[in-house]
Amino acid sequence: MIPHLEINDRTVLSAVGTAILFCAAASAVAAPPEHKEQHFAVKGRPTVVLQNIVDGRIEVKSSKNAEVVVVSTSSPEKVAIDLEQVGDRIDISATGLVNSTQPHEVEANFILTVPEETELQLKTQTGLIYVEQVNGDMQLESVAGDVNLKEVSGYIIVKTTGGSLKCTQCAGKLDFASIGGGAQVLQSSLSRINLMTTTGNLLYDGEFVRTGIYTMKSTRGSVEVRFSPTDSLDVDARSSTGTVDNQAAEFLRPDAHGPHHSRSRGNSFFGTVGQGLAKVELSSYSGTIRILKRP
Amino acid sequence: MQCKDFEAVLEQEGLDPLPLAARSHLGECSACQNLFADLSVIISSAKTLPAEVDPPERLWVSLRAQMAGEGLIKQRAPAPTEKAAWWQALSTVFRPRVLATAGVGLALAFAAFLTIHRNPVIVKNATPATPVAPAQTAVEPTATQPSSPAPVAPAPAPQVTAHVKSRSNPAAGTQDFKPSPSDNVYDGIPVTVQHPEQNLAGPSIRGSVEADASLRENLRVINEVIAECQKHLKKHPDDALAREYLASAYQQKAQLVAAILDSGRSEQ
Repeated sequence: MIPHLEINDRTVLSAVGTAILFCAAASAVAAPPEHKEQHFAVKGRPTVVLQNIVDGRIEVKSSKNAEVVVVSTSSPEKVAIDLEQVGDRIDISATGLVNSTQPHEVEANFILTVPEETELQLKTQTGLIYVEQVNGDMQLESVAGDVNLKEVSGYIIVKTTGGSLKCTQCAGKLDFASIGGGAQVLQSSLSRINLMTTTGNLLYDGEFVRTGIYTMKSTRGSVEVRFSPTDSLDVDARSSTGTVDNQAAEFLRPDAHGPHHSRSRGNSFFGTVGQGLAKVELSSYSGTIRILKRP
Repeated sequence: MQCKDFEAVLEQEGLDPLPLAARSHLGECSACQNLFADLSVIISSAKTLPAEVDPPERLWVSLRAQMAGEGLIKQRAPAPTEKAAWWQALSTVFRPRVLATAGVGLALAFAAFLTIHRNPVIVKNATPATPVAPAQTAVEPTATQPSSPAPVAPAPAPQVTAHVKSRSNPAAGTQDFKPSPSDNVYDGIPVTVQHPEQNLAGPSIRGSVEADASLRENLRVINEVIAECQKHLKKHPDDALAREYLASAYQQKAQLVAAILDSGRSEQ
């Protein structure tokens, strides 16, 4: 009798184990990422507001059509996506239905196709925010995700906690604030920039528009600007405990129209290129400020 | 008139009005009638086209970058005459909008100055018997908190005199000690902002594990920066740039804590 009982127990255990495996497999098969596409007809210059409270990537591209197309990919059991249109404003929100315990467990990815003239307000936790060929004011926020902008123009506000910004061929005005993220502004023609970070590195390698104001501050990171000898700018560089590495001394002359004539020490520098029409303010608490001439 | 001559007339003089000879040829020749009808449709359609629209600014930036990259264009030379007349510059200053902006800016700067330069020594260096104002007590960090500003050491007498004279608050004249500039930054910042970690003990997460880790890591970095700036300012109290960065770090910390609280990450 006893061996018979042992066999029964083993059988029961096997059955339970198999059932658990089947359940796990079934749940895995039953929850594939859901792919949704929705079209919203718009008349004028739309505003798209996307609040992604969970992880995920947001990609925005433009088209000639007068409509906003929202393509979302998410797990329907873990993420709720709400879309609403009020006139020319499209509100999109993604919220988590479960508490995540692992990175990217609760995730919603978006691809938006918008008219060229569109205003954007995008927010995500992690994952890249990528915007290309959109003309309009935009406010982009991310906690740990990077922000990549290409050929955009308007008043651009980027806020991250740890994510970095790369802005290529941008025009208009740019505000960037981060703690751990850096910023690279390349081949751009911005009339005003304000880049602030705590530990990230900052690089500006673009055009200095006359009467433009360019402010770059990094507490611990490096700040680097590259200019062309034909540019017209005043450079004011200051660091508390870091250094100012001026590698373009032959192109910068002492200021002739301000109160800074003789200020040029190891961690402080003022110089002018051309007529000094643009104003460039660089500062760092303990990082290195580097001033270079574009090759 | 031949068809060739009719086309020449159209080319030179347009559709309207046609010369008499051309009109008589048009009445007889079906090929020229077709041509005339086609041209009339094209012209009327062209008139209905919308006015030319300026391409977006980024298009020029992109084109210029591409052409510069291919070596087709070079950097432009600086314009020789950019200087505006001095009276034009002066008139710009006195525009109502500029004046209003400057007024608001001055008011804000004055408010910020008052906030930053309020005397913190009243509480910090008071003897136990000295009565303490309730509002100031609320601002003072507790003695057990590790990052709270240390009591300020007595400053040399000449410095005290100069400092007291510079105070706009008459009550400050009774103080014996000069505050550290880094301590000044604490003024006006609620204690919950100075030590927000106390409110963020909960490890629970409702959103993103990665984002939560990033927020906490950056909060740690900000705390390090604050400690570093404070230490530096103890040695170099006149470093205005360091003070600016310290104030900025406090602001970032407040925003970070607000972000953490807003996202519900502090919930137990």
